[in-house]
Amino acid sequence: MLAVPFSGLDTKGIARSLSQVADQESDISDAFFERLEVVELPPAEADSGIRVRLETGLALRLVREGQTWLAVRDSVEPDSYTRALRQIARALPMAAYPEPSWEALPRGEVEGLDAIAEFPGAVTREIRQHHAAFPLQMTVRRHRRWIRIVGTQVVPDAQAEEFYSCLAEMPWGRFGAVLADLSEDSVERISQSLIALFRAREAPLAPSRRHLVVLGPAAAAVLLHEVVAHALEADTLVVGGRIEAAVGVRLGSDLLNVLDDPGSAPAGVRRTVDDEGMVVVRRWLLRGGRVDQPLADRFSAARSPALVPGAGRRGSRYLPPVPRSTHLELLPGENTVEELLGEARGGLYLAAASRGSLDPLSGRFTISLPYARRIGAKGAGDFVGPCRLEGTVSELLTAVKGIGDDSQSAGAGWCAKGGLKLPVWATTPSLRIEGVEVCG
Amino acid sequence: MKAEELLGDLEAKLGKRGLDEVELYLKRGRSRRFEIGTHGRIAGTSEEEGWAVRASDERSSLFAAGTGGEPTLESWPAPDGRPLRLPAAQPISAWKSPADLDAPLLVDSEAISLLEAVESHLVREVPGGRLLRGVLEEGSSESELANSRGVSVGFRSRAAALYLEVAGPWRGSAGASFYLAEREARRFNPVALARQAANRLVLAHEGTAPDRDRGEMLLAPAVATQLLLALLPILVGPEGQDLARSLRDRSGRIGSPRLSVIDDGRYPGGVLEAPVDGEGCPTREVVLIEEGAFRQPLRSWRQASPPDRAVGCIRRRSWRDVPRIGCSHLYLRPAPQTPAADLLAAVARGYYLVDTTGGGQFDLQQDRFCLPVCGLVLRQGRADAPVGGAWLCGAVSSFLSGIQAVARDLLFVPGDGMIGSPTLLVTGLELRKDPG
Repeated sequence: MLAVPFSGLDTKGIARSLSQVADQESDISDAFFERLEVVELPPAEADSGIRVRLETGLALRLVREGQTWLAVRDSVEPDSYTRALRQIARALPMAAYPEPSWEALPRGEVEGLDAIAEFPGAVTREIRQHHAAFPLQMTVRRHRRWIRIVGTQVVPDAQAEEFYSCLAEMPWGRFGAVLADLSEDSVERISQSLIALFRAREAPLAPSRRHLVVLGPAAAAVLLHEVVAHALEADTLVVGGRIEAAVGVRLGSDLLNVLDDPGSAPAGVRRTVDDEGMVVVRRWLLRGGRVDQPLADRFSAARSPALVPGAGRRGSRYLPPVPRSTHLELLPGENTVEELLGEARGGLYLAAASRGSLDPLSGRFTISLPYARRIGAKGAGDFVGPCRLEGTVSELLTAVKGIGDDSQSAGAGWCAKGGLKLPVWATTPSLRIEGVEVCG
Repeated sequence: MKAEELLGDLEAKLGKRGLDEVELYLKRGRSRRFEIGTHGRIAGTSEEEGWAVRASDERSSLFAAGTGGEPTLESWPAPDGRPLRLPAAQPISAWKSPADLDAPLLVDSEAISLLEAVESHLVREVPGGRLLRGVLEEGSSESELANSRGVSVGFRSRAAALYLEVAGPWRGSAGASFYLAEREARRFNPVALARQAANRLVLAHEGTAPDRDRGEMLLAPAVATQLLLALLPILVGPEGQDLARSLRDRSGRIGSPRLSVIDDGRYPGGVLEAPVDGEGCPTREVVLIEEGAFRQPLRSWRQASPPDRAVGCIRRRSWRDVPRIGCSHLYLRPAPQTPAADLLAAVARGYYLVDTTGGGQFDLQQDRFCLPVCGLVLRQGRADAPVGGAWLCGAVSSFLSGIQAVARDLLFVPGDGMIGSPTLLVTGLELRKDPG
């Protein structure tokens, strides 16, 4: 595991000083310490070579009666902490504790770049193994993040994350992925995706109409992120009215059991507490197709007794936490992939999705797919060109008629809702959906 | 200058590794952020400080950036990829720092009042309308840049951004969102913003789209800027020349004589107004399209031939990002004598398209585009019926050559840089029910 740079913080002193600011019973106050390291290896053709970014900073927060005050600094020093604390304080404290103090944090050191450097070559070799070759420029990034949250009542363990992302550019389009590691499995998965895009590059468009579709695990992950996770975030539900009213509502087929569990995410991004320092829970979002426990952070949970915090995520220290999914799980069904495809003859197999969106007001979603394949007697066959799935959340989830037994754990991409950029993960099997609108 | 002082140490350290081209960029800033929405009211204050270093030897280069007042890497990564050339110092023509850079940033009460004013005016225009989310940010900064070829410059900046998400009272109908930027937050006009939001909501809800119709299209700045934004691949970077060539007509023009497009890093009052670009090269006005004739794409000193056609156009989105070529204030030249109302009054049969309702589809290679829009049917210069759920479609070349008149109401929106256009009267395009 990555070494934690925040081990020397005076957490007791920080907690004491925060308690002076949070002097009302329902106040929430915490300190968020963050170090980020992003190493990027652009393709050889790029204008510049290796790119490294190292950030260290803190954010202090006070939440009182529906209002949040946030003070952010690009350093983690006692002096900057104290000045930030004064900015969130609403009044001078009755009695002043001594200001916290700590030694300077260790400097960042960028190491272990060999695996990143070797990844593009490994992908190219793997593509050749499959008797394919095409122009390809690949950017690979390693993302590391260390955080420490100190509250007035709890000082949870520091959290560390390490994951990778890649962006491949080809003459016929771009492909991006979030990866838990750069293992041979990842090389194989990226290679297969790029070969599929290559083979689909001149494929005809699918006719726009309702189709029987089977979504592979990667496409199902994106779909569930948009139509289940986003639909069940407390800040989305509140747009439509009372959050409590959503609990127990049937949202989809009774085959659907969907959870959010940051504690079972891939090893490098597994979490014990969220970005607010709350213990993460194995949260049932949908149980038998009914809404069970929406995603909530401390702000939402303080306003609704039906909500349990533990899903607070920060896109950066400059922004307050919001309720978001980290690692989505769809419990597997009993169908093999062959059975799902066999029951969907004449339909479309959707292996990958490139992006998605949900309008919280209308409940309408759009999922963009870079290609699809016609399902024939022998399973997934001819390629068809880019298409979109469109419809309403309840219409789509009610149309789920079969769930595979082929669960795969992988990155589900970058979530960009509300201007945040968060990596999201999923463990999902294949899905068979009847009568979904496909626009070619 | 702090950057110049630190550069010496950096050159010594990196020089030992053969990296003799070295550039140091320092930036300090402060910003305020206010939000009202589903997470209550949020007031944030940030103090930001960051640095960026580019360095190169004869074969390879590196970019490193970090928080703090000076580079603090324990060890520098090995350079790779291509080598990097840095610009030499150039004379910078006189530039006076705008006075409003010294104005104080918004305080809580001003910011919240502005967002609440948008909401109250929206409710007045559309009873039951809601501001779902309003985010107002304002910040100011000082930047310094020094490199091993003698560049040593400093400049200040200031910007404010406003994001609004609104919804109408009608169940199940889509909302609308807006993203705007000004140099000072006090320039945002809540009444005008609320009216724009109300127009979008009402037109999208009540309007209908013709199956297929042509006619005169009066494009409000909100629509015209989206079309101009889609033309950036033609206007920015050396590859633009080839794309522009494919759009030329028999006379060698790519647009109507009313079409002139300019980029100006020193645009007075502009959000990105600065004497130098992100590499310390002087900025100036450059004409990219003049009365329909393509003159040149925006090119940096590395790409320009002859070099005197170069312009300082390397932009840094922040200290975190690798500098790259980009426009600053790219705009379609307005006609100072022509009010937009005169153009509207002159439309016998056509459409006044007031806003876009989503992202468009643009294919410059295939010379076609589709943009979702809302607006009004015009008959003899008067509004006849609302238009919603419609797509403005046609050839990119038809748009460029079909510009019949240009108004004076130049408006900038944030895109990749600031993109500006006045109201345009265009023929040769089509309004459709679906993008087809």
